[in-house]
Amino acid sequence: MIETYRDLDWSYYGPELLGAIGDTIYMVAWAFVFGGIIGLVIGLALYTTRAGGLLANRPVWLLTNFVVNLIRPIPFVILIAALQPVTIAVIGSGIGNDAVVFVMIWASTFAIARIVEQNLVSIDPGVIEAARAMGASRTRIILTVMLPEALGPLILGYTFVIIALTDMSALAGIIGGGGIGNFAIVEGYNRFRPEVTWLAVAVVIVFVQSLQMVGNWAAKKVLRR
Amino acid sequence: MSSDHLIEFKEVTRTFGSGERAVTAVDRVSLHVDRGEVFGIIGFSGAGKSTLIRMINGLEKPTSGSVTVLGQEISAMRESRLPKVRSRIGMVFQQFNLFHSRTVSGNVAYPLKVAGWSKARRRERVAELLEFVGLAEKAGQHPEELSGGQKQRVGIARALAAEPDILLADESTSALDPNTTGEVLRLLRRANEEFGITIVAITHEMEVIRAIADRVAVMDRGRIVETGRVYDIFSNPRESAEAGFVESALKDRPSAEDVQRIRETVGGRLVTVSLQDSGAVSTVLGSASAHGVTFEIVHGGMNTTKNASYGLLTVAVDGADAAVDAFIAELSSAGRVQEVHG
Repeated sequence: MIETYRDLDWSYYGPELLGAIGDTIYMVAWAFVFGGIIGLVIGLALYTTRAGGLLANRPVWLLTNFVVNLIRPIPFVILIAALQPVTIAVIGSGIGNDAVVFVMIWASTFAIARIVEQNLVSIDPGVIEAARAMGASRTRIILTVMLPEALGPLILGYTFVIIALTDMSALAGIIGGGGIGNFAIVEGYNRFRPEVTWLAVAVVIVFVQSLQMVGNWAAKKVLRR
Repeated sequence: MSSDHLIEFKEVTRTFGSGERAVTAVDRVSLHVDRGEVFGIIGFSGAGKSTLIRMINGLEKPTSGSVTVLGQEISAMRESRLPKVRSRIGMVFQQFNLFHSRTVSGNVAYPLKVAGWSKARRRERVAELLEFVGLAEKAGQHPEELSGGQKQRVGIARALAAEPDILLADESTSALDPNTTGEVLRLLRRANEEFGITIVAITHEMEVIRAIADRVAVMDRGRIVETGRVYDIFSNPRESAEAGFVESALKDRPSAEDVQRIRETVGGRLVTVSLQDSGAVSTVLGSASAHGVTFEIVHGGMNTTKNASYGLLTVAVDGADAAVDAFIAELSSAGRVQEVHG
């Protein structure tokens, strides 16, 4: 007998799905907030300490660049396993949503660092020189010139990362976390119920599309085009 | 150091790179700029002008020598101490360098925020400056909505905002068409005349020097080859770099083709007179009949600088050899005379 979408037992799947969506939002949001902030700082460090930068400092740049290159290529699923001792030390547990969030923060931090750096590189150096010539301090230049001048591309870059985080969160089930990915595997795939998996797919598509639309809208507003 | 010297360079050298690939951008330059004057620095691109002007506000540091600005040795200052001096020095750029994330008034207000002006005073000052540059109605627009000339006027308003003592103009008209160039130069001149601001302008365009400068330094391969009043240098260029500029700016010396064409219709000896004082020359020219020679002006014209006239005039002089010689000798007393061959 082929069961269909219409035959789903909503009294069971309804709360399960809502819980899964809640877990996904929980993981993505926390990882985005922490990874976004730490990544921004590291990205700024990469950009400002490079040769000719506002805070040019070769040792700091070399070290930062090395660390970013070291962590960033590690596939997320391996990072989850590799960081486990650190996760236990910091979070107190190597499993569950919070453990996943911890690893997601690492992964998103270094992805964001590169994205921030790449977007800042596109700023016209003349604009920064103008601000220096006016006597603006370096902190002021970073906060009131660099970030505003690159805001449009930065919003698009962050949109890209929040979608990548949604992708990462789907692997949470590996260490006992929840979320839509876990729902799709546990409730759909493992129980031979493809329509449940497809339900999860539909939810993810709506989730990602909404994020992308918000990101595009905000970037467009900032860029005035 | 005289207290009138607002800016003073002493034996300043700036080298980029090291070893065999070292490039000396600025080579043992000494100069001074006095309060209230417009000082022009002219040179071909790569002559070291940009590096030189950036040492005035500490954007560049000399490798050796000292730069003193507003009584402080800026070349010896740490980066963290520079903002205070910089807030007294405005700067205008070739590519305008406006903040795209801010409106026109936001751009002009920025240096005021840096200098800690209150919001009310900022608003008042921004309105005043936009009025000065004639862009009051553009206050709420963004830089990309403006033409090149308008962008540079915003750049000037922004540079003048915090009431600086010095204005640095870095090729301020090089990205503009001739009409807008005039507009921007008039604005710089007004800033000098109305606010008494000292201006240092670097350029490769003689036009700029002619329109606004009181004194000029000619820069060639890192060195200042000559400094003097604009009028003197224009009317009597000595070094090759500067002679090249003056001529390219004047376009008043006949080319080989010009000479050939002139020769087809006019006889006599061809000489080019550089005029420092048009009155003296006209007196001599007026005495042509007394010398028994005839002359015809075949090429050239007069130019006007901020406070003097100068020019190159090519005349064909015809008559008895001795009379022509005597006439040309008298012309030499009024201006520098050069024989034209070809």
